[in-house]
Amino acid sequence: MDIDKRTQELAARLTYIRDIFGQRENASMAMLRTRLEEFLEQAPHLGMRELSRQVGMLEELFVLLEGKLESELTPMDRVRIVRHPQRICLKDILENVYDNYTEIGGQDEWSIDPGMLIARATIARRMGKKTVHQSVMVIGQEKGHGQEFRNAGSIKPWGNANALYYMRVAEIENIPIHSYVFTPGAFPVEDYPGAAQQISKNLYVMAGLKVPIISVFSEGGSGGAEAIALADKRLMLSHGYYSVISPEGAAAIEGGLKDKATPELIERCASRLRITAADNLELGFIDRVIQEPPLGARPEHYDFFRQLRREVIRATDEVVDSVDGLGPLRGMAIRRQAKAADPQDIFVRWSLGGGARTKLVDRRFEKFRAMSRTACRDNRSLGARIYSGLEGMLWSAHSTLRHDFLARYKRHLLHMLEALEAELRALRQGVGGPLGKFLGLGDGQQRRLEVPPEALERLTLLSCPEEGACRLEDTWVYVSPKSREDRTLTCPNTPTHGCLDLWGPDLFGEFAGVCSHCGHHFPMEFQWYLYNVFNFAQAYEFNSELESSNPLGYEGFDLKLEQAKRQTGLGSACITFETHIEGVTTVVAVLVSPFRGGTVGAAEGEKIIRAAERAMLKRTPFILYSHGTAGIRIQEGTCGVIQMPRVTMAVRRYIEAGGLYLVLYDTNSFAGPVASFLGCSAYQFAVRSSNIGFAGPGVIRETTGVEVPPKYHRAFSALSRGHIQGIWDRREIKKNLHQALLTMGGKNLYYR
Amino acid sequence: MLNVKEMLEELNASPYEEIEIRTPHTGVVEFVGLAPGDRVNGPSGKWLERPGTLLANLTREKNKKPICATQKGQVMDIRAELEGRFVEAGERLLTIRHFLSKEEVLGRILKKALHLFCAPERAKYYFVPEIDAKIKAGGEQSVKVREGLDMFIVSRMKRETPLSYSGPEGIIYAVYFQQGDNVDGGQPLIGVCPESQLTLIQDVVSRVQGEWEERD
Amino acid sequence: MARHTLLIANRGEIAMRILRACVTLGHDFVCVYTTADAQSGHVRLARELGGPDRLFRINSYQDPSEILAVADASQATAVHPGYGFFAEDFRFARRVVERQRPLIFIGPSWTLVRDLGDKINTKRIARAHSVPTIPGSDRPIYDEMEAVELAQTIFAFQQDQGIAEGCVLVKASAGGGGMGIEEVYDLDKFRSVYRRIRNYAKRNLSDEGVLIEQRIFDFNHLEVQVLAERGGKNAVHLGTRNCSVQSLGRQKRIEVAPGFDPASLTYAFDAAGVLDAITRHSVNMSLQVGYDNVGTWEWIVTPRGEPFLMEVNTRIQVENGVSGVTSRIQGRADGADGVDVIAEQIRLGLGEPLGYTQQNVSTTGVGIEYRILAEDPLDRFTPCLGRIEAFGWVAEPWLQVFTQVPTLQLGDEPYEIPMDFDPNLALGIVWGQSLDEARARGVEFLGGLVLQGTDTRGEPLRTNVDFLKNRTQTLLHF
Repeated sequence: MDIDKRTQELAARLTYIRDIFGQRENASMAMLRTRLEEFLEQAPHLGMRELSRQVGMLEELFVLLEGKLESELTPMDRVRIVRHPQRICLKDILENVYDNYTEIGGQDEWSIDPGMLIARATIARRMGKKTVHQSVMVIGQEKGHGQEFRNAGSIKPWGNANALYYMRVAEIENIPIHSYVFTPGAFPVEDYPGAAQQISKNLYVMAGLKVPIISVFSEGGSGGAEAIALADKRLMLSHGYYSVISPEGAAAIEGGLKDKATPELIERCASRLRITAADNLELGFIDRVIQEPPLGARPEHYDFFRQLRREVIRATDEVVDSVDGLGPLRGMAIRRQAKAADPQDIFVRWSLGGGARTKLVDRRFEKFRAMSRTACRDNRSLGARIYSGLEGMLWSAHSTLRHDFLARYKRHLLHMLEALEAELRALRQGVGGPLGKFLGLGDGQQRRLEVPPEALERLTLLSCPEEGACRLEDTWVYVSPKSREDRTLTCPNTPTHGCLDLWGPDLFGEFAGVCSHCGHHFPMEFQWYLYNVFNFAQAYEFNSELESSNPLGYEGFDLKLEQAKRQTGLGSACITFETHIEGVTTVVAVLVSPFRGGTVGAAEGEKIIRAAERAMLKRTPFILYSHGTAGIRIQEGTCGVIQMPRVTMAVRRYIEAGGLYLVLYDTNSFAGPVASFLGCSAYQFAVRSSNIGFAGPGVIRETTGVEVPPKYHRAFSALSRGHIQGIWDRREIKKNLHQALLTMGGKNLYYR
Repeated sequence: MLNVKEMLEELNASPYEEIEIRTPHTGVVEFVGLAPGDRVNGPSGKWLERPGTLLANLTREKNKKPICATQKGQVMDIRAELEGRFVEAGERLLTIRHFLSKEEVLGRILKKALHLFCAPERAKYYFVPEIDAKIKAGGEQSVKVREGLDMFIVSRMKRETPLSYSGPEGIIYAVYFQQGDNVDGGQPLIGVCPESQLTLIQDVVSRVQGEWEERD
Repeated sequence: MARHTLLIANRGEIAMRILRACVTLGHDFVCVYTTADAQSGHVRLARELGGPDRLFRINSYQDPSEILAVADASQATAVHPGYGFFAEDFRFARRVVERQRPLIFIGPSWTLVRDLGDKINTKRIARAHSVPTIPGSDRPIYDEMEAVELAQTIFAFQQDQGIAEGCVLVKASAGGGGMGIEEVYDLDKFRSVYRRIRNYAKRNLSDEGVLIEQRIFDFNHLEVQVLAERGGKNAVHLGTRNCSVQSLGRQKRIEVAPGFDPASLTYAFDAAGVLDAITRHSVNMSLQVGYDNVGTWEWIVTPRGEPFLMEVNTRIQVENGVSGVTSRIQGRADGADGVDVIAEQIRLGLGEPLGYTQQNVSTTGVGIEYRILAEDPLDRFTPCLGRIEAFGWVAEPWLQVFTQVPTLQLGDEPYEIPMDFDPNLALGIVWGQSLDEARARGVEFLGGLVLQGTDTRGEPLRTNVDFLKNRTQTLLHF
């Protein structure tokens, strides 16, 4: 019987290997197969002892060859490992890594989102003779070994919302969060609370969550992963992947969306994207790799779970240690981390004190701030860099002095003066009223109004002659070159609204690209906004030397990047500048659609972070105008994805310092940026006829099988869903922005 | 009483409708190589978001616009002599023979079976807000009408007057006009089914569903 | 003179008048029409005078692309917009001259169409050239204090003038069509009205600017017909007209030239002086702004005889004929019908010099124009649709009739009144030596008019003929 079971297991291992290596034939695999077949053929003729010996030999051969095959794994094989139904899943981890757990927020299919598993778990640690149970909040995607209702760990917006809720609970309870990332990506529907919007909320909250967060990546699919992975320590399973997009998705984009991508192209994309644990460790986006057994961990690998347990405990300890200063001996022990010493034996209290909690958040920011620093090109000279560093310091000092120190006194003085003036006025009124009546001045009925001649003149002569007789027509500072072409265009709403054809010079000139009949907005160049809204002619642009580069050495991308730079005259898809909008000094960042679709990579992220920092330093409002963004730049791989938490954290710091962060969407804004630093603003507006969402209709159809109606991503849908706060007419953006600056804003903003 | 069978036979004798495709405005016509006998499709997709087969292009003031098929059918004849020429608005380009679908046959029979309330004059017609709200909420068949009920707003020459329903009591079974479009005098606005006849109408529906063969 | 091909971007009687003027001047023409309008007189006339090649069926008279596509296809060199449709659309005027294949726009330069198309702008331009305008603001007011002060001054001003019941008009500067406009009789109520209008404007027009003006009652509505040549260096006027007889919707129904007739009527003010002042101001302003085609300066004259410029119409008007019939140009062989203003417009539009000065222009007699419409004066001038079964009039040497409706006798194919347009049926212009003679002829014309039909409900077609007759006998001027 035992032999049967063992042979069955071996057969299963062979099937698994075949699954992993896909189409590729391979000497080791062939050998295992023939040996197993030979054995099965002979088996009926063999005695018990011989059987046992042969099975033992076969098992050794399997171990040997599995080790050999392990070294032949391609990135795509790893993707297949991670997606294999035999891959360990979160429930296995809960059962084997933790000592006890209670599932909360749903059970199996009876959950708001069965793909998202949330549990309170405990880890028992020895303290002398006592056993202490330490609580953690475990959050992660559950793939359930291929259970249909788990949706492969693709989380719906409400699943992420539920995760966020329990992260907050953990914060209140002051217990660490262990998050396990097992997702191919988020489920990209916009039903409330909306895929993008919810991920951005998660990121925003996690950026400031005051408990240690440890995340473990198995399958880290872009935005869906980020929703729970903004952590103080990021561990990764050695056979996992962490990527901006699935290799299939990348291949689809690469190969032109029309045809189905070939397996070869998918393989190529998988290796170009640098998605493996080793790659990500090298790039600095994860802290440690947890070695799995050859060909990936499966539920029967108990040693692996023990190791995983050690690693998560150690990671949690380290985080606590970094902010809460343990005793010297324990600290040293943890830091040395001799493999021999089980961290379980050294007790570390995981609940943090007040100061440590703030420090934790600061550390987290610093950690992410330092990531992907080298993934963009900084063309500034050394002198310029030193100068800008110094300038920052000076500004910092200046702003502390002016806004914190002096302002307090100034405010006191102003209050005093105001009070005095009010007193005086009260005095005048109190006495003046009756006095005036007594003198008989207030008798309104009989009074005959005398018209002074100069008043009469105002009724009949030209007022404000200095303005000229003709009131200035609304002319635009920048007029689109499209307005010079004599041709007509058809408004897309013609079938429903009966719009007449529009003449190009009218449409792109005077009308600013707005259909005069139905108000549909045709896209306009980013220059139109720069000059007509943001007063770019008088603006001071900074950090233009920061340019996009090709951090992963993605094949063929250098050429495309050069082309984009040449065509747009820009170094990256982001322009940051300081400007005045109707007299209000503001820092503005613009995502430029024509530059690689306005995608965000390391350079764009860094520029936005620096812009937010500048706005914080100078205490000005910060406006992010998305002229259009297709998402994270896939060719930068995780260097791009990491911008989601990075920039969100920077923006959060700015907002918490009292800043006003305002986002304006235009044309098409999708994916990563919307699901992070754009979507997290409390004040998001859209230009009419723009589209906002997580994934486009084509992607939704492909990944979920759901057909979405044609106007699914329209700004008006986003407005009724509560994603954005208003929709603006292009011709009135400047007016609306100015009004927004006057009516919103933080306590420390000095823009009036 | 309604003789459904006879009507079905009559329709079976000429089970198609000829749709004339005309230029929506002036411009230069360019055909796309269709020949008589070719099959074309109407708009498709769940929301009819994909336009039908391209029939021709019409260029006016440097703006090239596609003219697409509005219904599925077969191209009958193409006025090839117009190729590359400037044509006036409303010029016939080609004809499509469209075979009636079950819904269309049903519509035709219902038009004969229901009490039709017609537009008294050419004007734009709207439902009064209460009825409009009811239709939007519960569909047309949720609205009961009776003699003298204020139903429509008639908009003509920028002036609006109310119009009340006259005819037998019943429920609205079909609406034949688009709100805000011009309706000629005498054209039906709504089809009303007296409640007593509801079963008969439902019988017609099931018979057409069962007996009508759809053709391409 | 070069032979031009004019595309007539209009319909009905004005298209017919332009068409005839083209023929008179020796130019070619191209006509457009819509399916609904295929029966219209201009289609018949174009077929008769130019043949079917001169006619193009279009989708809509209001789509500039249709007009210009036809212009290119028919090799037209100029576009005449008539009145309505594109006549005062500066964007159309600009497109016509700035497109790759430019055409001549028979009308003033597009910048003038734009500048004078805006009432507030016109007021400012007028003030800049010392032309009197209605007392009040000449730019949108955004400040409440300023608004209150202005209103106060206007009330005081009216009191000074002895106007018993002062009234101030508050209107949204971006508004139009009678929306966002209110009268205030009491300064105490001004603030609340001002706020209401301002909020309305902010919400509906997204511009909270408000205009504040004196409200004038019982005024005469006068017009000055100006002709100016390209370049704007020379301009003359063809006298004045009085358009005070209007329907409820402020639509003109009867126009009389000259504007006042001191010879047969007595006025509470110096009527001749007023006529002199407004013609002088109009021509002056035309020269100042470089006006370069025909245009109409519209004035209101208060009961105290003060003229205020209200607006400038940068187009040919329906009532141009009534000025034509009372004008004569010295040394020209104009017929009994006087000056053909439309022909003059085409001539000037194509760049010909005026060829005469104000001294060569004289006015003679009195002209009255009647606008005959299918409408019910007893029921708020509601348009009446249907078909005309009999139509005709007695021809007289002192009478001109412009109509797109064919002459019909009972039993002929009836004429359907197209519902997409105003139910204008005909214009009748009578001329007489004196006001009395003109009036008598007007009554005679209206009396002899045969106009019979059925409306869409099967009742007899209602028209305003009796209303016109009645007003001729009672009151033509205030």
